[in-house]
This record gives sequence, structure tokens and C-alpha cells, in this order.
Amino acid sequence: MKPRVGIFSLTGCAGDQLQILNMEDELLDLVSHIHIVDFQEGSSYKEEGPVDIAFVEGSVSTETDLKHLKEIRERSKVLIAFGNCAVEGGIQAMRNDEGSIDERLKEVYGVEPGFFDARLSKPLSEYVDVDLDIPGCPVEKEETLRAITSLLHGDTPLRFTYPVCVECKLNEYPCVIIESGKPCLGPVIRAGCDARCPGLGLDCIGCRGPVDSASGFAAEYSMLLEKGYSKEFILNRLRVFSGEVKEDFLGGDQ
Amino acid sequence: MLVKVLAKSSFSSFVGALGDYGDLYAPVKTSEKVHSFKEIESLTDIDLSYTRTMIPPKKFFIHPEEVIFEFNIDEELYIEPPGGDERIVLFGVHSCDINALNLLAKVFTEELPDKYYLERKERSFIVGVSCVPDEYCFCHSTGTSYAQEGFELFLHDIGDSYFVRVGSLKGHEFIATHPSLFEAAEQSHYDSFKDAERKMYASFTNELEMAGLQDLLDMAYESEVWTEYGDKCLGCGSCNLVCPRCRCYDVEDHINLDLNTGERVRKWYSCMLSEHGLVAGGHNFRPTARERIRNRFNCKGSLREDMPNCVGCGRCTVFCPAEIDYVEVMKKVRGDLK
Ligand code: SF4
Ligand code: SF4
Ligand code: SF4
Ligand code: SF4
Repeated sequence: MKPRVGIFSLTGCAGDQLQILNMEDELLDLVSHIHIVDFQEGSSYKEEGPVDIAFVEGSVSTETDLKHLKEIRERSKVLIAFGNCAVEGGIQAMRNDEGSIDERLKEVYGVEPGFFDARLSKPLSEYVDVDLDIPGCPVEKEETLRAITSLLHGDTPLRFTYPVCVECKLNEYPCVIIESGKPCLGPVIRAGCDARCPGLGLDCIGCRGPVDSASGFAAEYSMLLEKGYSKEFILNRLRVFSGEVKEDFLGGDQ
Repeated sequence: MLVKVLAKSSFSSFVGALGDYGDLYAPVKTSEKVHSFKEIESLTDIDLSYTRTMIPPKKFFIHPEEVIFEFNIDEELYIEPPGGDERIVLFGVHSCDINALNLLAKVFTEELPDKYYLERKERSFIVGVSCVPDEYCFCHSTGTSYAQEGFELFLHDIGDSYFVRVGSLKGHEFIATHPSLFEAAEQSHYDSFKDAERKMYASFTNELEMAGLQDLLDMAYESEVWTEYGDKCLGCGSCNLVCPRCRCYDVEDHINLDLNTGERVRKWYSCMLSEHGLVAGGHNFRPTARERIRNRFNCKGSLREDMPNCVGCGRCTVFCPAEIDYVEVMKKVRGDLK
């Protein structure tokens, strides 16, 4: 029997689901190996029942998301946090340390607590066990396909545990920090994009989220301070895709 | 050693003749701060005044990323990619890099020969060129400022001409088949060669005392220096990836969607990455940046085949985004610098 696969969506832009649809060359082959029980962006067809592999995109930003996530976890063997929102909380998590959600709703919309079904945006791992994370904003097609193939074959999918700099060097791209002092986040961001931005002469803004070993964050922070970037600029930059980068996180050896 | 003289006026004919051996690769300026060994289309692309490339010439022998075999599970097939027959000329390699390649060749071709390395070495023609050290070079300290072997021809700039040392059988054959390019070396050329070497040697401004370094590293095991630089280190791996003597690699298997065929890929790796010390069961021998940087410097300061694992090229300092200076760290280990 073909493995039952669900592609689910919480709060996000649906860009990660779109990446699956973008696998134009492999899509037909892929669907011949799996049985899709839920894929909002691909079809209105839905099926109840157990799921072998669940891809969950988006962050938990509402009570509805949380309920949905718990149901998915309940029915799934393998749950994959799919894309930066699911892995880190996404762009919508970057102000999480600036007041409660109630305070913010009051300030921005002038509404009382409970008016909207909103929570602080959090990654899936905050609430459920996550078996694998596929980062990226959006995810990379090749990494996604490799993960599915490995799972179908019964292997543990490979994860990128090293930073963007490694791919940058393997491609012989000039380092934009060294060339022109740009505030590249490549040293602390998870590889897998083949150093796309430095390859275009741009500094990495960190869309794939932090690399596993977070010890480099403090060093990246001091390095950028030394290069003359302000504390506010650096923190804002790190926060865009790296969830709740806390100030004490930048001070310690981990 | 056979020596010859090549007049600079014959330079373009010489490079043309090299092109007859195979595809010509030489240093090309690719950005403000980077040179790279690239295939040469026109003579004017070559920049022989370069100091160091970012990625060393080891890339021609162990590719940064390459498929080492393909497999087919049902048919129990193991297929090595064909070696190819393209021959390459590496023109403009400096002594430090030639000495680095000599160690890699030992590691990859002697005890457990790597067929890819062997084939590529067989099909390559290395032409060394003398250089002028900058403030990061310290190859005179590591004993690698002069290449005694590991090249076909070595060109020393002596003004109007190059003093050419011939280092291999292939080099001798080249000389024999291109007699009109070269002149016999005379005493005056020897003198110019010695002067040029002396001048080069005197122009080093960076220096690292190597005596006893291994023992001093042992004694520095608990030193504060590892915390100081560990805190500064981004863990980016660049220092290893640009090092001509680093040779760690990672191996990945990729299976195709048919769940039957696939490939094994080998790619350069770095001991500054957190997974380098991770073993089955989840234990990591070097879980912190402090331990990783200590390990790297201990590796660099130790000997392999009686050669230090560092040839003093300065790349790891120049291309470290955190500006960690290799010589400065070693000087602190020695106690020469507080
Ligand atoms: S450009 Fe960025 S990613 Fe590339 S080596 Fe420099 S810091 Fe790392
Ligand atoms: S270089 Fe950085 S910002 Fe660019 S795609 Fe890669 S991870 Fe994202
Ligand atoms: S350790 Fe640094 S200086 Fe020594 S050979 Fe490697 S890159 Fe060059
Ligand atoms: S290049 Fe510098 S920052 Fe990167 S791992 Fe090496 S020492 Fe650390």
C-alpha cells in the first residue's frame, strides 16, 4: 500500500506547499509513489484517517491552528515542520518579545482580548513533537524531494547541519563580509540553498533560519557590532527569520 | 636537477606550448579580494602577480563535491564514474601550494589509494611560479617557501627571464620537445636565481616560530586562548575549506525516486562544524566552539608524514569573516604574545 501523505497548512503564505507544486518534473513520479490525503493548495479532495507522513507548513498563530496541529499530530506517524514558519515561527514571530498579543491587538486594532482568534506566533515544536524539519522561506525543492525519497526508502533524511558559508566556499563565491563588509548572516544560517544570495553578491538575510549549533550567534553579533552595525539593526536582522532571538541568546556559549 | 632559462619574450609561446598538453588553468582575479584557478581563454586573463587564490589547487584533485559512485540495488550494480581523459595544466602554482599538494598526494595515494586522485595526478602538469610574500604569508616559517618536488616545471622570475627548474619526467619531456623555447643556464643565471631567492626570503614580514609547537600546544590544552578565540569564532568552516592542507570530507548517499538507483557524493568538510565530532549514539567529542578551535589548531600544529599540517599560506586568516589570525593564535599558544 502506498504511504498516506498529508500536506497541511497553518498560518503562513502557503509558499512551501507551492514549492511542492513547483516540482513539475518530478510531480507525476512522486504521486505514483504516495497517496495524498490532504493538500489544500493542490486539490479540494480530503480524506480522514491515519497519515504516514505529514508536512505541516505555517506557524501556530491562532487557537484554530493549535487545535488543527494537535489533530494532525494525533493521526500522523511522521510529522515534518515544513518551512521557516513551521520551524522557527516565521516572520510573524519576530516581535514576540515586544508585549503580549492582547496588548498588541489593543494597540493596533483597538480591540479587547478575545476579539480575534490570535496567539503569539510559535513554531510547531513549541506544542508537539516534530520528527524532522525542512527549513527555508520557502523550502528548497531538492531538499524536500530528498527527504520524501529517504522516508519512502526507510532512511532518516539528511539535514543540513552546517552554515551557508560552507556552500559559499564550495562554490568559490567571494565572501561579501570580507569584500565589502556587508552584514551577511551566512555563518549562522542553515545551508541548503547553495549559498544563493552570496552567489549573486548579496548578503544572506537568513531565510533558512539558524544552523543547529547556535554558538555562532554571539560571535556573529559581536562581529557585526565591530563592523559598525547598530545593536538594533543586528537584532532586527537576526529576528526576521530566526524566531525569537533573545538578547541573552547572543551572549552565551551553547 | 636540470635547470634552464626561459626568456620573457618567449612567454606567450611557452604558455601556448603548455596548452598543447591539456586544458590550461591559471590564477585569474575574480573579485576585489579573490583570485581563482580558472580555465584560461586568453593570455591576458592570467594574473601571475597574485598572492594566493581563495580556494587552493587541491580542488583539481579532490573536487569540492563529486559523485564517487552510483548504485543500482536490484541489479546489485556499483558504478564508478569514468575517469575521463582530459589533461590539465596548472600554471602559476606557488611553493606553499605545491608543498601542500605533496602531502595530499601522500595521504590520498599511498596507504589507501584514491583512484580519482591518482588518475587526476597522472593527467596533470604543474608549473610553479615564484612569488612575493604579503603580510599574511609565513611559509618560510613552515619550511614550505621552496618546492623541491611535486611540479613539472618551476619558473623563478629573475628579471628579463625565468630560471626554470625541471622537477619530473613529464617536465623533462616538455623541455626535450620544445628545445627552441629554452636556453642553457649559466653562472650569471644561477647568481640571479640566488639573489631573487634571497630577496624573497628577506621580504617576509610575518613569522611563526615552529620549534616545539606540538609540545606547546599540548601544554596549552586548558589555555584561555581557546575560550578567547572560540567566543569569536562563527563556526563557519571557511578556514578549513580554504586550507590547502585540510582534507576532511563528508559522504552522503542520495537515492532516487525509483527507490532503486542512487549515488554516493563526497564533499569537502570542516572540523569547525558542529557535526564533525558527532558519532553514532549522539555523543559529540567536540560540542563547543572552544573545543573545535583547539582541535583545529592542534591538527594544524602537528605533523603528518613529517610535514606540518600548515604550509603558511595565510588563507585561513585572510578568509576568516571573524578575522581570527592564525599566527596570532599560535603566538598566544607559544606565549610569545599575551
Ligand atoms: S558571503 Fe556570507 S555565506 Fe559566504 S562565506 Fe561570507 S559570510 Fe559566509
Ligand atoms: S543565502 Fe541566506 S537569505 Fe539567501 S536563500 Fe540562502 S539562506 Fe536564504
Ligand atoms: S592552516 Fe591556514 S595558513 Fe596554514 S596552510 Fe591552512 S590555510 Fe594556510
Ligand atoms: S573561518 Fe574563522 S569564524 Fe569561520 S570557523 Fe574558521 S576560525 Fe571560525
